Amino acid sequence: MSALLKKDWFGLGLVLIFGSILISLFKPAFISPFNLYVLMLSVSLMLVVAMSQMIIIAIGQMNLSVGAIGGLVAISFTGLMEVYSMSIFPAVLIGLLIGLACGFINGYITVKTGISAFIITLATLYIFKGMNLGITEAQPFYEIPEAVKFFGNAKIFGPIPYLVIIPIIITVLMWILMNRTSLGRYMLAYGNNVQSSELIGISSTKIVIYAHVISGLLAAIGGMLVVCRLQLGTPNIGDSWLLPSFAAPVIGGAILAGGKVDVIATAFGVILVSIISQALVIFKIDPFFVQIFLGFMILLAVFINRYREYREERRTKVFSDE
Amino acid sequence: MKKFIIFLTSFFALLASPVFAGGHGVTKVALVPGGPHPYFAAWEQAGLDAVEDFGLGKADYRVPAEWDLSQQNELIESLVGQGYNAVLVFPGDAVGTNKILGELDDAGIPTAALAGCVEQPTQAKFCFGTDTGHSAYLGTKELIKALGGKGKIAHFTGFLVDPNTTLRINAVEQAVSEAGGGVEIIQVIADIDAYEPADEKINAFMAAQGSEVDGIVTTAWVPAVVAAQALTNMGDKRIKMVGIDHDEVVLKAIKDGYVHGTMLQNPYGQGYIGSYVMDKVRQGCEFKADAPWKSTAQTDQFIDSGTVFVDISDVDTYVMAMRGISLEILETFDSTYLNCPS
Repeated sequence: MSALLKKDWFGLGLVLIFGSILISLFKPAFISPFNLYVLMLSVSLMLVVAMSQMIIIAIGQMNLSVGAIGGLVAISFTGLMEVYSMSIFPAVLIGLLIGLACGFINGYITVKTGISAFIITLATLYIFKGMNLGITEAQPFYEIPEAVKFFGNAKIFGPIPYLVIIPIIITVLMWILMNRTSLGRYMLAYGNNVQSSELIGISSTKIVIYAHVISGLLAAIGGMLVVCRLQLGTPNIGDSWLLPSFAAPVIGGAILAGGKVDVIATAFGVILVSIISQALVIFKIDPFFVQIFLGFMILLAVFINRYREYREERRTKVFSDE
Repeated sequence: MKKFIIFLTSFFALLASPVFAGGHGVTKVALVPGGPHPYFAAWEQAGLDAVEDFGLGKADYRVPAEWDLSQQNELIESLVGQGYNAVLVFPGDAVGTNKILGELDDAGIPTAALAGCVEQPTQAKFCFGTDTGHSAYLGTKELIKALGGKGKIAHFTGFLVDPNTTLRINAVEQAVSEAGGGVEIIQVIADIDAYEPADEKINAFMAAQGSEVDGIVTTAWVPAVVAAQALTNMGDKRIKMVGIDHDEVVLKAIKDGYVHGTMLQNPYGQGYIGSYVMDKVRQGCEFKADAPWKSTAQTDQFIDSGTVFVDISDVDTYVMAMRGISLEILETFDSTYLNCPS
């Protein structure tokens, strides 16, 4: 139990369980199969986006271009299928390559110029978004193959959508990366202290580029998943990602200065934000007050989690004093 | 300071241009939306048609890279520098856009607000767009008719910071209040002008209250698309929906029977007639003192560009319907609004 209490995700897990029970007591529709299906869809999409930002936070940087990469890949993916009649798998492959290239550009320029990733990704945000608008002229692509639509909207069984498969695989892989591989540990070490990590032989260039490449790839996957869900490739995809991409990792206990992220807690952060958003709809909150409620609910969840950490720290301190 | 220098350069470049050398010269209209959005795409063809039909020098559609007032202002300044001598603009900001409109007016360049108005006092000659409140009112009336005068409805709309959103919410409430108590608004969901949050919230609503709701009215582009898609995905033809605008997803859902109809706006007519009027103003026409302007929350010099309800019976011919409205407005525009030198 003591080990569990130390985990970042534990407090969030409790908030999620009690919160869900509370909501379903007042609104039984919350646990209806259709609502669970909608919730899983929403979580699936944002999970990938949050992971894309989380890995950059791990190295103490920020990626403002996550949404722009996702949007560029989304319209490229759909454009290739509609305009060039390309089949799905080559289009997916090219989408991934675009994401990888965008991530590489972010990482390479950041490393080689020594300029903050915040500035670099702010610039590339405009470049990627500009390319998106240049290609589409703000017009959506509509001709999506039936298989793509099916993947975005069909269910495996019960309320579980197919769309959840890829985000779950990504979350597992990210957990392995951050907790069981030297690359993941090097990233955290780099994020914690750049000078110290370099002194023990960790290559800054590799770490930063790898992190941005993974981030770009995940943003690309996020963009294509949104296309599957929406059944159209619109240039607006990704426009609303920036704040949620930071919110979930931070709610999950990530330190923006780097060196500390928790994959499971980030996933719980995504679920929490989605549940709160849904609850505001289910409880028919006045639209002019929705954002106030959302803000307060997120603050409450973070305070509960922080209180748990504080209690744990105090207990540890008492034991060590004794 | 930088903007001032750009403006001065643009201003003198314009004065030196052949446009000014020969009196009124040919009219070159710039059609500038607030940012990228499919709604404005029809302005491009409208401008081209206006050039052909009215003998304008140019009528070009230029889109700012993003929804940002300063980017829009810089684009307008650049276009003026390139010789455009009339500007039709969707205001990047209902108040903030007035500054550049005033500067253009000082330079003798007529302007008008298109598809959205600027707050008075303004140097814009007029505002030509959809009467958003009226459109929402008519759409809700159509929905109530489809519901047989009773039922529970939901309203999905756009940005809360857009003053039109409040007008739309009020208009839907007014239409419902006139239904004799048989219709109830069970929920208003707003601020869903991006696809992902719209998808999340509209589907959450469907999951929680889909069985209770009888009708949906949407008064913004993205919510209309997402709600039409949601009903199509659910295979639900029980819930009646009246959307807005002409996105392919909405039109297809009407044809497939998942959406009852949509309130079309008239972006083509806005661009086409707006370009024509700019040319007239440059030729010396002035607006009549007793012109029958309409009033909105922002201006009392408003002209409604028209709105029409389209359902399955006329969804294939909606373009003709909108062109018909445009021609109707155009036919009487001079006699209704303008005093022109003989």
